[in-house]
Order: sequence, then C-alpha cells, then structure tokens
Amino acid sequence: MRILIVEDEKKVADMIARGLKAEGYAVDVALDGQNGWDMANGCEYDLVILDLMLPKLSGREVLQRIRRKNQQVPILILTARDGTDEKVQNFEAGADDYLTKPFAFAELLVRVKALLRRAPVNRSIVLHVGDLEVDRSLQQVRRAGKKIELTAKEYALLEYLATHPGRVFSRTMIIEHVWDQSFEGLTNIVDVYVRHLRGKVDDPFPTKLIRTVRGMGYYLSEEVEA
Amino acid sequence: MNTRSLRFRLVAWYASLLAGVFVLLGVLTVVVLRHYLETNLRETQMRRARQIADTLLVNAGQNGDGSIAPEIESFYAPEANDRFIRITRDNGSVLFASGKPKDGSFDPSAISRAPLTIQGALSRREKLPDGNVLLIAALNYRGKGGAYDIIEVGAPTAQIEAMLSQVSLLLVIGLPVVLIVAMGGGHRLVQRALAPVDQIARKAEQITQHNLSERLPIARTGDELERLSVSLNHMISRLEDAMQNSKRFVADASHELRTPLTVLRGELETVAQDGRLDTDTRETLGSMLEEVERLAKIVEGLFALSRLDAGEAQAEWVQFDLSELVATTADQMSLLAEDKGISVSCQAAQPAMVEGDRARLKQVIVNLLDNAIKYTPRGGVIRLQVVRQNGHAMLCVEDNGIGIPREALPHVFERFFRVDKARSRDEGGAGLGLSIVKSICTAHGAQVMVESSASGGSRFSITLPLAEHEPVKGKPE
Repeated sequence: MRILIVEDEKKVADMIARGLKAEGYAVDVALDGQNGWDMANGCEYDLVILDLMLPKLSGREVLQRIRRKNQQVPILILTARDGTDEKVQNFEAGADDYLTKPFAFAELLVRVKALLRRAPVNRSIVLHVGDLEVDRSLQQVRRAGKKIELTAKEYALLEYLATHPGRVFSRTMIIEHVWDQSFEGLTNIVDVYVRHLRGKVDDPFPTKLIRTVRGMGYYLSEEVEA
Repeated sequence: MNTRSLRFRLVAWYASLLAGVFVLLGVLTVVVLRHYLETNLRETQMRRARQIADTLLVNAGQNGDGSIAPEIESFYAPEANDRFIRITRDNGSVLFASGKPKDGSFDPSAISRAPLTIQGALSRREKLPDGNVLLIAALNYRGKGGAYDIIEVGAPTAQIEAMLSQVSLLLVIGLPVVLIVAMGGGHRLVQRALAPVDQIARKAEQITQHNLSERLPIARTGDELERLSVSLNHMISRLEDAMQNSKRFVADASHELRTPLTVLRGELETVAQDGRLDTDTRETLGSMLEEVERLAKIVEGLFALSRLDAGEAQAEWVQFDLSELVATTADQMSLLAEDKGISVSCQAAQPAMVEGDRARLKQVIVNLLDNAIKYTPRGGVIRLQVVRQNGHAMLCVEDNGIGIPREALPHVFERFFRVDKARSRDEGGAGLGLSIVKSICTAHGAQVMVESSASGGSRFSITLPLAEHEPVKGKPE
C-alpha cells in the first residue's frame, strides 16, 4: 500500500509519514502542490493525503487534477479551515474524507484505514474483550457470564471501544461516533459516561478493562497494565 | 411630542421670538399712534381757537358782543360737531358757551373754567366726572382796548380711544393668527431642513456589525448635513476596515495556530506511546497533551466565532421542532446532571417549529445546559422550558446555582470573559461558550437574555421567530 502525502509543513508531513510507516505503509511526501501533482501523476498511489493550503499549486487545484485523471484513488483532505461551505465544495470536487487540524494521529489512522477498505471492520456479532461479551444483535453486554444493564449511550460507547481492543479512541472520535459534533469542545460528557461505564463493567470485577491514556483517550484491554 | 427634539426647540424659539417682536411692535404702535392723534387734536383745537380770535373777536368791537354767538354757531356748529367752545371775558363773565353736543357725549357745564391768568396759549386734558376726557386748548386774546378774552376750544378723545382700541383688538386677534402661521411654516421649514437628519438617523440605526458595508444616504445639498453624512460614512468605512482586520486576524491566527498544534500533538502522542516511559513522564506528557487539546478547543472556538461573524451560519438552514431538539439534548445530557445530583426538568411538550441550522442551535442548548450544570452545586435544580408566545419560540434555561454578579451580567457574552477567573478555569472552560451561543443566536435573528441575582440562580432565555408553517401533528422525523 502506497500513500502520498502532499503537505507543505515539513514537520506535519514527517510526523504523518513516520506514523504511517510504523503502521506498515509505504509513504511518499511532496512539500508543494506542483511536486504533489507531478508525483500523483507519475506514480500509482492507493491513497492521497492532501493539505489544502499549498505553495505553487493550491490543494484544490491538485484535487481537481487528480480527479480528472483518476476517479478511483481515495483522497483525504487535511485542512486548517473547517467552514461548512468549503467542506461541501471539496466533497463535490472529489474529496473522500476530511480532517481538520489539529487531529489525533489515531483519528487519521482510522480514516486512512477506512478509505483503504483495509480497515479490519469488525463485523462479528459478538465482540470479546477478555471475559467481556458485547452482543451486537441483542445489544446486550455480559461479563464473566453475568448480564450487565447499560443505557443506550453507555452501550454505544462500550461497543465502539470493543470494536478495536487495544486501540486508543480520542474523545473527539468518541463524541463523533456516539453523540454528535454539538457536544465537541465543551463538555466532559465522555469522561462522565466512561466513569459510569466503569462503575458497571469494571468495578465489580478484579480486572479493569477500560483504560485511560491521559491526554489521548480511552481503550479496552485485558492485558495487565504496565 | 418630544420637547427636546431639535425640531420642537427651533420652532418654539422661532415662535416666541416672533411673539415678542409682535407684542413690542403692537405696544409701540399704540403708544405712537395715541401720541400722534392727541397732538393732532390739540393742534386742531388751538388752530380753531386762534381762528375764532382772529376772525370773530377782532370784529367784536364793531359788531358788538351779540353777534359772536350766532357767528360761532353758523361757522363752527359746536353742538353738531361734538365740540366744546367757550369764551370768557376778563371780568369772568361768559361771552359764549356751546351747549350739549347732539350725541350727548359730554356735559359742557361740567368743564372747569380755565384760570383767567393764563398768558398766551395753554393746552390741557380734562377728565369729566362722567368719565369723558376732553382735550381743551385755551387762548388768551388781548383786544385793542386792553381787555382780553379767554377762548377755550375742546373735543372729546373718545374717537381716538375708539380707534386705538380697534387697533389693539386687531393686534390681539392678529397675534395668535400670526403665531400659528409662523409655527406651521416654521415647522415645515425645519422639517424640510431636518428630513435628511431623520434619514441618516434611521439608516445609522440599521447599520450593525453585520452590514457595515452599507452607507448612509447623502443629500447633495452642499450644506452642513451633507458634510455630516459624508464624515459619518468615512467613520463607518474606518469601522468596517477595523472590523474586517480583526476578523481576518482571528481567522488567520486560528489557522496559523493549527499547524504547530498538529505537530505538537502528533509528536507528543508518538512519545507518549513509548512503552518504556516511567509513570511520571507519562503523566507529564498526558498533561501536555491535555493542554494541547485545550488550546485546540480555543482555536476551534475562535474559528467558529469568526465564521459565524462572517455570516456562514446559513449553510444548513432547515425547519425543525425546537421542543423536540431541547428534549433530546436534555436527555442526552441527563447523565452529566445526574452525576452531580442535579435534577433537570424539561417542559417542552408543545411543538415549536423554527428555522435554522439544527446542529448549531443544538450547540446553543448544549452550551447553556453545560454551563448550568457546571455552575449549579450538587443537589440543585435546572429547569428547561420551551414556550410559544406572539409568533416566537422562547427557550429558557434556569438554574438555582451560584448565579452571576450584577456587574458581570453585561459581559457574560464577551469572548474570554470569566466571572471568576479561578472558578471557571477549574471546569476547563475557555470562556468562549457563551459568545458562541450569542453569535449563533444573532445569526438566527434570535435574542439572548440573561437574568441573575448574585444570591443564586441564573436564567438564560432565547427568543427565536417561529417558522411560518405550523407543524403537522405528530412526531417529526
């Protein structure tokens, strides 16, 4: 899998490249629009990550040129402006997804994987994390065989975390998935729900499954904490 | 009528000045006229006295005293002409005295005798017991023999008085008429002169920070008002420039801040995921990430505000039920309140269709409710209410929390304003929540009001115009 990053901020480009390489992708970096277009034109990529504010050739222009030549390649837009109008225009111009700076790398990774359709979309009916069972068809949760009663939001939160045990979910990702953008930025709603969830899922049991990574988010794991 | 208005004051000044001038002129007219008429009358009497002396008394010696009376009667007919004529000899005997005038306007017998000692001519004013006033000219006529006669000729002033009172009456009637005409004319004149001021004022009131590109009408009259409107327009363009600069600054700044924040966040996350770190380092990195997150939220908030200011809120305008949105949001946030032991009551049963950006208005509810939960102590009560009144939907969020001090009330919607610096920072707020509420409401043509007493409890109310079409009964969606 080969990914092209077109981003004029070298540090941002390097950071993304490093992270994606660590995930096992082959990554090329272009630091301006012209260079980005040349590379996208000359080489087959599986995904393009494109910043909108670029020197020499604007991100929008690069987006349109790539689309004229190749309808298939997924394009993920990075932007520092998230005006709704602009978002709509870029989707119309052929963008597949959109990420506003500053983003957590985890969010970028989720979107990249989704776009590459290589994301291990966990479609199993019953999710397992240790002795925790999340039954998606019945929307029921059991731990060590005991049924746990959860509210709809608590269930949605737990199910989301259980789709990828071990992966850290940022508060932004959780809010967007379980609630909606209106809750972003101001409330501590995620923390409150996680606390309640812990009270039901973890407190009665010796092994604590819901883990916090300070400053980053939450994840589920059965491994013993370091 | 506004008595402080320029129009009223100008007309009042104008009218009172005119009334003053008119009264002064009237008094002067009456006084001068009286003086002139009386002088005239006196001179006429004196002339007549001389005439009597020169024509009749000169010949008295030849014709005898007896001829005087009939001659006076035939020449002067004093009774028919309402005149008074009396000739007194130096020994005090009356040679001739006119009788009662035909109109009976005065009684000649009541007129006192002129002293016999007068030399030459003397004019006097005599008031009779019946109230009539006569002007009497007395002349000492010395004959050839050394004897002399006193000739008195008089006429009543009644005619002069009648004329003067008519003139006065005319003036008294004329004054209010002139005043009314002057005020009416003055009002029209001032109104015409001030009409551009009205237009300028009305337009100026319409100009807010959202339509600063508009300008005041300029009357091309070349007068002071044109100068004023041109200067005001220059001021508005300077304001517009300043506003645009500050908006561009906020937009550019938040944009420029995002890139370093992205790098900072990415690098910190990479380091934080290194499993070999000890707990202290991990905590420090986590704390740094939290601060990066907070910075990112502030930048995002500022950016949202600058977009709202630029009027980008109308992108997703739909019609929806505010009551339903409030009820859903309150339900979604109920755990936050429950967590603090706060009870939330939501009275939003009646549908209230409004038009707007649903997600943004939801953010308004979330922000207000979040604030209420933050600043209400454990065990408090929060009341949410949606009511319809006069074509408007009113949303109220009321709590019995710590309240807002009176002096802080006008500032709660300002960016980065905090009632108590220490208090809200603990809650992780950036001081942008309420400004975002205000901006969203302004973009929706809604009004936000806040009431509070420092002793406790605040109440935020938002008034939104109802959508024109009534909702179909039943639940939307």
